[in-house]
Amino acid sequence: MKRTFLNGVAVMALTAGTAQAQMMFTPGEGGFHWDGYEAFAENYDLSGETVEITGPWTGFEKEKVDVVFSYFEEATGATVNYSGSDSFEQDIVISARAGTAPNLAVFPQPGLAADMASQGFLTPMPEGMGDWVAENFAAGDSWVDLATYEGPDGEEDLYGMFFRVDLKSLVWYSPIAFDEMGYEIPETMEELKELTQQIVDDGGTPWCIGLGSGAATGWPATDWVEEMMLRTQEPSVYDQWVDNEIPFDDPAVVGAIEEFGWFALNDDFVQGGTQAVATTDFRDSPNGLFAVPPECYMHRQASFIPAFFPDEVELGADADFFYFPAIEENDLGSPVLGAGTLFSITNPSEATSAMLEFLKLPIAHELWMAQDGFLTAHAGVNLDVYATDAQRAMGEIIANATTFRYDASDLMPAEIGAGAFWSGMVDYVTGESAEDVAAGIQARWDSIK
Amino acid sequence: MSPIVQGILTIIIGVGGCIGYFYASNILLDRVIFPPKTDDQGRNIRRATMVRPWLFLLPAILALGLYLVYPVVGSFLRSLYNRSGEEFVGLGNYVQMFSEHGFRVALFNNFLWVVFVPAGATFFGLLVAQLTDRLKWGNIAKSLIFMPMAISFVGASLIWKFVYAADPDIGIINAIRDYFGAAPVDPMQIPFWNNFFIMFIMVWMQTGFAMVILSAALRGIPEETIEAAIIDGANPFQIFFRIKVPQIAGTIVVVWTTITFLTLKVFDIVYTMTGGNFDTEILPSYMMDYMFRDDGRATAVAFVIMVIVTPVMIWNIRQARREL
Repeated sequence: MKRTFLNGVAVMALTAGTAQAQMMFTPGEGGFHWDGYEAFAENYDLSGETVEITGPWTGFEKEKVDVVFSYFEEATGATVNYSGSDSFEQDIVISARAGTAPNLAVFPQPGLAADMASQGFLTPMPEGMGDWVAENFAAGDSWVDLATYEGPDGEEDLYGMFFRVDLKSLVWYSPIAFDEMGYEIPETMEELKELTQQIVDDGGTPWCIGLGSGAATGWPATDWVEEMMLRTQEPSVYDQWVDNEIPFDDPAVVGAIEEFGWFALNDDFVQGGTQAVATTDFRDSPNGLFAVPPECYMHRQASFIPAFFPDEVELGADADFFYFPAIEENDLGSPVLGAGTLFSITNPSEATSAMLEFLKLPIAHELWMAQDGFLTAHAGVNLDVYATDAQRAMGEIIANATTFRYDASDLMPAEIGAGAFWSGMVDYVTGESAEDVAAGIQARWDSIK
Repeated sequence: MSPIVQGILTIIIGVGGCIGYFYASNILLDRVIFPPKTDDQGRNIRRATMVRPWLFLLPAILALGLYLVYPVVGSFLRSLYNRSGEEFVGLGNYVQMFSEHGFRVALFNNFLWVVFVPAGATFFGLLVAQLTDRLKWGNIAKSLIFMPMAISFVGASLIWKFVYAADPDIGIINAIRDYFGAAPVDPMQIPFWNNFFIMFIMVWMQTGFAMVILSAALRGIPEETIEAAIIDGANPFQIFFRIKVPQIAGTIVVVWTTITFLTLKVFDIVYTMTGGNFDTEILPSYMMDYMFRDDGRATAVAFVIMVIVTPVMIWNIRQARREL
């Protein structure tokens, strides 16, 4: 017996309460691709089945992704249990080894996924997924490459599907504060540095930087270094760095770290002084932008950060962003740094495959786009659905990029990219030299080869 | 099956199983193997008495072997392999570990912890136990001091994170500094001393434990010895250090060693306070850095911790048996 979509709606209406509270968007309305959804709903009946998913999304982000999953539940009758964790990196390894892995895991880092694929904890994507991604994602081949790893037998296979892209090269600011002081949006790194100095001369503090993130403390600094790599070196050097074809303590990398130090290691440039950088939680760090008077004027962070802005802050009015500019004299175009989360199969089942089919649908992306805080590489989605102009503007930054590179620390072995690099950056902002830090990270990298 | 039914069933099977086992083994011993009916009754009863305790202990021995001995042997073997567990590297993990700066820092910090935390907690515990002994409101004071014992390590760390906060509006240390016009500092980033700030959290939590045990021991001291000392003209300090402390020395050792191996295993506090950054790493948090990434190294660290804990534990158990 196949449950039709309309039946589903009827059931939904009857079981008002939790389920209905999550159905934020009425089927058939808005610019969503409902047709694909309805066809999907007719093809699947998975009543009684459960899909277990773990991932890094917690808090507001969990609420949003739960909405997306609720439509899957509605269409198929299956139950989706999504649990988010702040220490996903450890949790997923523990549960995989204990044999209690969920059906799907949402990896914030391809490096960790590659590690787990090589140990045989991941199941390759269903047949045809690779071709589908290559065809339907903007810059599709690069997304396929990023999710193709060696399995336990050394065979290469596609192990993930990217869902949700983060754009990193953004500087957040308060237009009100900028207007008041008459500051202009800098177009080049030179101008950005001038502006930084200008703000200090005017008696303000230009930057809020926070590296705190519990056990993951230090990661926001790795983004800074990656941005600086892309702005001081050719993309090919960046790729060599990721693969350790040039050592971590190569002058190119040390130079990029010191370029970050220009901003972070100057007590006048950062809110609370350099000392505060290492311990301020990255989630609290942007709050200084919205204080009156502003505790800082700029905050470099990825596209997800508005999720952590204070409730009353309205994107567009109270907070806006500009592209973290390139260095004009280096003439390297406008490079963009990004990242993304990928779904991987940790425990295959019929309902799991159905979920992956669901995630291929434009609607799965649109449902989160419409809630804000979600960018996608899916080329088939209706861009009008984006909740805000800001989100669309981010899309433009991606479109205007001459170079797009994936977050380097996420591509390095987990031990470096989610370990030595993080703690090395904490050491750097607390006084160790860039050379020593870089040499230490390289030594750790040598030890795992 | 509902969890309640499941629970009740588990209890019935568990308890029933135990009784059944003892009953069955008695029957087996007395009726089948050594029946006291035959000619050599006396010898058979003696034999049965010898075998009986071992038979009763058998399930416990098996369980202990499975859950204690096997993991120890297993993890030692594991620590001889490389990070993915495929290649035998002998003692390579240990050699590399000891040559590493991070490990030496962790070892040194752990040494500081083992010296200062048990000493601090026992000292304060003894002090409080003695001072509140005859006070009317002594019990209230004791309950207050005992209370941190009930807080989880992570919870306590979060509380102290506020105390140590760099923001003068939140952190006490910086509020005081601010009052005198000094610039705020982050106590977690003061090299070397940050270890002591973190250790203090553990002292704060364990003082209550030391106090309870020691005040019980103090009450157990025969009044006559103290009265005799008073008659002989001893001052309060002499009474305390020459009469009381020697009489409870055994208990002090038990408290001291118990806190020592608790200290050797503590991980949550450092993990929550600094994540091991700013040179505050201790062995268990250092182990955690490697866990799930390099199993060989992580188990090697675990083994080092076990080797350090074992003598303290043996000493503790001996003392405790003598005391209790």
